[in-house]
Amino acid sequence: MGALSLSSVSKFFGDQVGVADLTLDIEHGQTVVLFGHNGSGKTTLLRMLATLSRPTAGTISLDGTPLSRDRPHLRDEIGVVSHETYLYDELTARENLRLHARLHGVDPDRCAERLDAVGLTHRGSDPAGEFSHGMAKRLSFARATIHDPEVLLLDEPFSGLDRESRGRIVARLRDLDDTTLLVATHDLDRGFDLADRVLLLADGRRVGDVTTATCAGPAAVERTYERRVAGSTG
Amino acid sequence: MSARQYLRVVREVARKDLLLELRGKRRFNGAGVLALLIVVVFSFAFVRQVESGAVVGRGSLWIALVFGAMLALSRGIATEETNAAIEGLLLAPVDRSAVYLGKVCSATVFVTVIGWTTLVGVTIFLNAPFPPAVIGRLLVVFPLAALGFAAAGVLLTSLTLNSRLRESLLPVLLLPLVIPVVLAGMELTRATGPFLASGWFRILLVYDALVAFAGWLSFEFVVEG
Repeated sequence: MGALSLSSVSKFFGDQVGVADLTLDIEHGQTVVLFGHNGSGKTTLLRMLATLSRPTAGTISLDGTPLSRDRPHLRDEIGVVSHETYLYDELTARENLRLHARLHGVDPDRCAERLDAVGLTHRGSDPAGEFSHGMAKRLSFARATIHDPEVLLLDEPFSGLDRESRGRIVARLRDLDDTTLLVATHDLDRGFDLADRVLLLADGRRVGDVTTATCAGPAAVERTYERRVAGSTG
Repeated sequence: MSARQYLRVVREVARKDLLLELRGKRRFNGAGVLALLIVVVFSFAFVRQVESGAVVGRGSLWIALVFGAMLALSRGIATEETNAAIEGLLLAPVDRSAVYLGKVCSATVFVTVIGWTTLVGVTIFLNAPFPPAVIGRLLVVFPLAALGFAAAGVLLTSLTLNSRLRESLLPVLLLPLVIPVVLAGMELTRATGPFLASGWFRILLVYDALVAFAGWLSFEFVVEG
């Protein structure tokens, strides 16, 4: 049983397929990149793993325990970096982190260290609304990891970031040795180096599962993906 | 999940809302001013035509409070919509009803303050239509009415969170739901004698308890995608 297990998980929005019959095991400390075009089901899958959305069918388990409404404490093991930052614009960076630290019952004093880790100590007293996209994303990363989650879910974490911000986030991700990472991206060049596995998604279905140690690189994975997508639609 | 964790989330959500309001005063500036303007319009429209200042005062007080509360609730959820901030709250490792209760607590405070501000406005612009006993009673009735507004309003604003028609949907859904609060409030503003024993007071208490319980029970289902 892996850190995260999905058993026949499906999500439908009316007639639309979000995710279809996905079964998957992810080991502790593994980094899995979810790769697919827009609308392939990456965000839908991450939202279900974050418990922000309920699967239409199937079970998601964390360390063998199914995620369900009566086990909210399992959310303490999950961190989420989404397209959205989940930050309050009127609160300062420090206040935003303190809020999330308190929600998770961790010592708010660790906020200073987390701000430092994402290079925002000098902006700790500034409202989050005054931050650039890259700074807000870094603060969002600090927010998502304030409680040291066992599983970190990242949805397009590198989109819109400059080299410095991207470098800082990648460095932080490399530090998280024991954390299971799921990184959704449509740009493999920016996630491939981190990944142990690349899961290929198209129209909510898994069309491939590639181990990065045995493949030639992101370009090869993308070619495989395009072939499989063409094969499944043709 | 311990009761301590649960209460901590309730407290943090409420505290965050109050801090945001103290900093931006978005709700009070909009809702409080709207409520006062309604009272002013009533004073121009009715004071010389209607003999009883208390009748005009009562009507304007509760109409102003209903619209002020609606605006405050609508602005409250708009803050959560920016950056999808509410989803950050929903990731807290406790039952999501804690988020609901936290938001109901803060909304109750806002609506109560709007009610008291409106009462001051009515007293000034409509020439003190209420005797001191009624004013004392309203200091107790407003928080209870505010709780009814907040319990129903937070649930409905969460329900319409991702709707493009939220601004128009909220009044359509909320107004019929809070009719018992408005009726009880009007009657308690008019009544003489000990109000704690009155049937309307009991209706207000029962309504608050029922709606808050329904919201507490259903919030998780409402916010879940």
